[in-house]
Amino acid sequence: MAEALLNIADLNVRFSGDISLEHALNIPGMRTFLIPDGAPDIEVRLDHPLQAAPFHEVHRFEIADGHSECRVGIDAEGAYIYQFGASSLLRYDERRPGEVCLSTMEQASYLRFALWVAYSLPGLRMGRVPVHSSTVVHDGRAVMCLGESGTGKSTHTRLWLKHIPDCHLLNDDSPIVALRDGVPTAYGSPWSGKTHCYRQEHFPIAALLRLEQRPENRIRRLGTVEAFSALQPSCPPSFAQDEHSLDLLCDFISGIISLTPAYRLGCLPDEGAARLSHHTLFCNP
Amino acid sequence: MFGRRFDSAQLHTTREAMRINEQMKVRSVVGENIVIMPAAGKVDMTKVVALNESALHLYNSLAGRPFELSDAVEALLREYDVDEATARRDAEAWIAEMRENGLITD
Repeated sequence: MAEALLNIADLNVRFSGDISLEHALNIPGMRTFLIPDGAPDIEVRLDHPLQAAPFHEVHRFEIADGHSECRVGIDAEGAYIYQFGASSLLRYDERRPGEVCLSTMEQASYLRFALWVAYSLPGLRMGRVPVHSSTVVHDGRAVMCLGESGTGKSTHTRLWLKHIPDCHLLNDDSPIVALRDGVPTAYGSPWSGKTHCYRQEHFPIAALLRLEQRPENRIRRLGTVEAFSALQPSCPPSFAQDEHSLDLLCDFISGIISLTPAYRLGCLPDEGAARLSHHTLFCNP
Repeated sequence: MFGRRFDSAQLHTTREAMRINEQMKVRSVVGENIVIMPAAGKVDMTKVVALNESALHLYNSLAGRPFELSDAVEALLREYDVDEATARRDAEAWIAEMRENGLITD
């Protein structure tokens, strides 16, 4: 069977599958993370013969720009099921924590998202969580802009790139966060939204920055509960829909926010906003 | 025939049995005791409520069974060195806030 090995956020991920492997590797950004050899931490079995079976639904949302739905639930054996569209399936049984099975996707466009899910389910158990963020690196540290879609995360990081020296973008949509030797770290990933920013790199996190559009630029350091509320909505939404996943996610978030400062930045899309956040994070430690 | 009048406001606050929402779970996050209530729709509508020490004590005392205001008052009196009037006031405030957050149901 055809297979390939990738390293994503310091986890070795083996993709295997006769039909879909080539499609998977052709997804923009994926090849950046290929490695020649290593023992896999995560096995993603593509083109797996999964049978459709009833499951208890816990979550449902739109995919493919609103043309389809993803349903998430738990099957009779207690395994997590994701159904993409009419019949494309992903199954994750936590009793085999490193293994994820996917059926052949009915639409090629589902595969990118399905692989993101396939990474994130075992990833959570291994201390790696994708965080919806635009992340810029300055002076060797990552600044993670968080916020709902459309609030201006990418705009803010672009302002850093324009006005703050010694900066580069790590990822524009879904970097992966983990504790690396006890240090909260942001990793590049193959999932970067519409911006092709695929970097096999990692940096300690300088701060979490939750953005809101406001008529003037102001920044405020957050306490524990607010920091939790700032980070949790930026983690995979399905993790909040069943008790066990939410337990794991809370432990993860605890670990990160106990070691990383979080701020709320109300801002305009201007140079002043970037200078304010840069000054606060890097000039007043 | 034998009409009787009740002080209906009094009845509402002291006699009615209520329960802590069974879906409520308290989790410890960096030393804070929080309750997370995912919104059915948008992720960013997730609500997080932090319980201070006395709120947590009331939760632990009253979860899993129907209770009335008097039970909450008693729980506070058992644990804290306060007079009954204060305990009653605090219990009422706790119930009101929990209700507002959907954490107490009738």
